Amino acid sequence: MISVSKLLCDLDAEGDGLRYDAADGSSKPQISRVKQRRPVVVWNLTKRCNLHCSHCYAAADTEVAPGELSTAEGKRLLDDLSDYGVPVVLFSGGEPLVRDDLFELIRYADDRGIRPVLSTNGTLITDESAERLRDAGLRYAGISVDGLPERNDEFRGKSGAFDAAVRGIRACLDAGLKTGLRYTITERNASDLRGVVELLRNEGVDRFCFYHLDYGGRGADITDLDLSPEAKRAAVKELCDLTRTYHRRGEEIETLLVGNYADAAYLIEYARRYIGSDAADRVHSYLRRNGGDPTGERVADVDYQGNVHLTQFWQGYSLGNVRDRPFSAIWDAESNPVLRRLRERTDHLTGRCADCRYQDICRGGSRLRALTVHDDLFAPDPQCYLRDEEIAPSSPPETSAD
Amino acid sequence: MVEKPDRYRVGEHPREAVEHEWEIFVREEERDPLRHVGSVSAPSADVAYEQATKLFAWYANDLWVCPARAVHRYTTDTLDDDAELVELGSGDEKRTHEP
Ligand code: SF4
Repeated sequence: MISVSKLLCDLDAEGDGLRYDAADGSSKPQISRVKQRRPVVVWNLTKRCNLHCSHCYAAADTEVAPGELSTAEGKRLLDDLSDYGVPVVLFSGGEPLVRDDLFELIRYADDRGIRPVLSTNGTLITDESAERLRDAGLRYAGISVDGLPERNDEFRGKSGAFDAAVRGIRACLDAGLKTGLRYTITERNASDLRGVVELLRNEGVDRFCFYHLDYGGRGADITDLDLSPEAKRAAVKELCDLTRTYHRRGEEIETLLVGNYADAAYLIEYARRYIGSDAADRVHSYLRRNGGDPTGERVADVDYQGNVHLTQFWQGYSLGNVRDRPFSAIWDAESNPVLRRLRERTDHLTGRCADCRYQDICRGGSRLRALTVHDDLFAPDPQCYLRDEEIAPSSPPETSAD
Repeated sequence: MVEKPDRYRVGEHPREAVEHEWEIFVREEERDPLRHVGSVSAPSADVAYEQATKLFAWYANDLWVCPARAVHRYTTDTLDDDAELVELGSGDEKRTHEP
């Protein structure tokens, strides 16, 4: 995750310690005082979902899928994650609210010292369930909206889904839960970005996470729905501009980018062009501490059947299964050549990523996109939108970042 | 007296989310043992082999794929509700073949 508001507007957030090793300088209570050593674990509690979104990486279904980890198994998984030192579990799906034991599992995670957060389509959240989530110890609810009403409903395969998600957002905010937007940027909805931020800002939302499309699950069929690199660049620039406009007005919205670490390089270029070279240096130094794309290191995924994946988007390959081996052992097993090579990926990157001057803060972007498009784990990320002159190992160009 | 571990047989849970699941084994050098390196999702053995090749071709000498449903897992450490302890003998009965 790259925090645009932290990097460009110096807005403190509770993830500063976790992400940038910058807890001491932050005015906000911190998720962690030290930069994370263990991964944030996404747990897809279920494959069931009440919606049918075209970009769903979990290829979720309305039918119950066999093999879901039970409540007791889930608790044993949380025990292992807690003993291993996992800082955060993101309860995800499918739609996690279709499971009746969600509240119990959130409470259990919280009791074991893991920070429980939730990823949901929001449409099943009522006033009562929002209060139950809060009382169980939930720290954050990320609610997916993927465009202005008509576009969102088309994307999500259900009319009324936008209004239902906004009702869910209101319920969470009324219950005093920290609540934010999750928005997957595609060719279809990039033009709605500004409108959605304005609309949800008026509802009281102050945290906005923008996801680039990764090419796993149902998303693999819609690679052609992804923005072109130039359009992606324009969308990220718009988000940077928007964030700065809000901050100039004194409205401290938190904006984040997920799923394409070329964004890190772009933010430095943007800061240099529009704010100044000191700002660019400051942004660069934060990003060095962040450490680039987290796949196989700072993020992990456990699916509903207990298979362990490199990220939540990489469902086609599993490192092992928690029913026959603890997560901690699977994650530490560098005898797995894919895991080992990914962790030393800067030695193996090829093409433009091999010589890129931003390699230390990006680390080659998405290896899953490279694999899907080029059949090569270490080929360049096809969605890198940095220009050749920007990534050249020599000194930075004077004019860019438009 | 031979020290014997308590080993459980993991329940026969489905491992197939969208497509079939295939366990992958690779042999790095000709004289090495096969090593289990995870599993891939694919509709057939040939596609599973293709997927695994993209991940391991640069590394492996041999590559085997095996349907996950054909693999019965016995482990000392499981969180599985359906796991069953497999009773072994006491360890001091006479062996058929002495080493
Ligand atoms: S060239 Fe590669 S390493 Fe450099 S910014 Fe682009 S994706 Fe990242």
